[in-house]
Amino acid sequence: MTIKAGNIRKGVYIEFKGSPHLVTDTSFMSPGKGSAVMRCRLKNVRTGNTQEFTYKSQEDVEALDVESKKMQFLYNDGSDVVLMQPDTFEQVSVSHNLIGEKIGLLTPEVMVHVLFYDDMALGVSFPPKVRLKVVYAESSTAGNTQGQAMKEVELETGLKLHVPIFIKQDEIVVVDTDTLKYVSRG
Amino acid sequence: MQNWQKLKNDPSRIEYLKVRSWVIDAIRIFFKQQQFLELETPLLVHSPDTEPSIAVFDTELVCFDGTRRTGYLTTSPEFSLKKMLAGGVGNCFQICKAFRNGEVGSHRHNPEFTILEWYRVNADYTQVMKDCEELLLFMLRYITDRKAKQDDIALGKPESTVTTLTYQDYEYDLSLGWEKLSVVEAFAKYAGVDEATLLSQEGLLQKAREKGYSVESHTTHQEVFDQIFMNEIEHHLGATKPTIIYEYLASQAALARKKPSDPRYAERFEFYIAGLELGNAFSELTDWKEQEERLLSDVAERKSLGLPSFEIDHHFVDAVKSGFPSTGGIAVGVDRLVMLMSNASSIADTLAIPSQDLFEV
Repeated sequence: MTIKAGNIRKGVYIEFKGSPHLVTDTSFMSPGKGSAVMRCRLKNVRTGNTQEFTYKSQEDVEALDVESKKMQFLYNDGSDVVLMQPDTFEQVSVSHNLIGEKIGLLTPEVMVHVLFYDDMALGVSFPPKVRLKVVYAESSTAGNTQGQAMKEVELETGLKLHVPIFIKQDEIVVVDTDTLKYVSRG
Repeated sequence: MQNWQKLKNDPSRIEYLKVRSWVIDAIRIFFKQQQFLELETPLLVHSPDTEPSIAVFDTELVCFDGTRRTGYLTTSPEFSLKKMLAGGVGNCFQICKAFRNGEVGSHRHNPEFTILEWYRVNADYTQVMKDCEELLLFMLRYITDRKAKQDDIALGKPESTVTTLTYQDYEYDLSLGWEKLSVVEAFAKYAGVDEATLLSQEGLLQKAREKGYSVESHTTHQEVFDQIFMNEIEHHLGATKPTIIYEYLASQAALARKKPSDPRYAERFEFYIAGLELGNAFSELTDWKEQEERLLSDVAERKSLGLPSFEIDHHFVDAVKSGFPSTGGIAVGVDRLVMLMSNASSIADTLAIPSQDLFEV
């Protein structure tokens, strides 16, 4: 579907230089006399590379029709993760590059949406919060005492997280999937 | 999450608001020490700036007898300040809100923003360049002092002698003597576009086509100029010290006078730190006829683009006609200065309540 660059929004997928890209940020600007532009931060979904590009706001851009499938994490396979659609058992590999540090949120209990374009996985979208188990926490009470006292713990997925010092090993914590920050006890 | 909630969760965020207050203190001290008069001019006007690329907020003035007049929120206090200059106020400045519609949801814009304008009479844009260098260094040192001695309202000469600003893990040298590049030099250096090509309508469109940009029958010289500037040049600017980009094309003069020795260019500059555009300055246009023609041509362009149009500000033209001192002036984005001075990656962090919190956009 062709859209005007001025209508590009954060979160849509567009074709840029022949490859699908996720728009991760936009700013609409009027830098000069009679001209308006849309500056976009684009993430190449094949390579994970990010770049900025500024479009003329009236320029045509190809927006990609992206299909979303609810899937479950199975296992890590080298530089990919393997996910499965529970009702059809259809499996798909998604490169770590496309998930980034959010890979530390994936457990078999978490249902995610995998986005596809032309049968190619473009990315993974998480529920707003996930519950993860603390597998290592120091029992010390010292820590960062400015503001709320925090300490670093390790979660079942290997993710390191800053949590309040009262959190103990084997507890469940709730993590915000957008910011990768501690929300509450699980 | 609303900004006040973020502040409650993380009390250290008050630092952004303190730095905002100190930035404004620094501006006032800097100009008042030089006997600039601080002015307050209207934010609600009948005839706003005509610049076609800026979307204006409109509202309605209702009189006692029920008569209604369209009013607009100013996109800058420039016309009013120039009327005051024509009236004879001399060196002056204003810090106020300015409003530009259509600029929401970006990390460097808020539709309601704080603008600083100052005008120096018997001067041109080169003196304003010097003012910018001195103001930024003064501000950095003043804020360094205030950070060290929170509540001690230091007036006068800052004690700090620091020259380095750290912003988002990079260091910028704010000592006097900024990098200066003309528009022609910047296009040659960073985009490989020579002067003849840059000045030619068809030449620049052809060059843009070769570079792989989309160029159609309705694409304008200004559009490809902006697109090349923003994609290939802007991120190089202010990379280690502030950069002044000066002498824009005559077609981009806005309210600047043409360069007397070479009227293909206008005496206009912008300055950048860390790729952020912070200010736009002119040797102010004092030729009332040319001023009136530019306003009328903007209005005609607005009509041809199907944009809302309005009467030009005849009082402003009259003011210029009545005689106007040679003046250098500039508009600076105060919120962006606060971003730099408080190390904020987004303008929203520097605002007590960003527009997106109010309108949930």
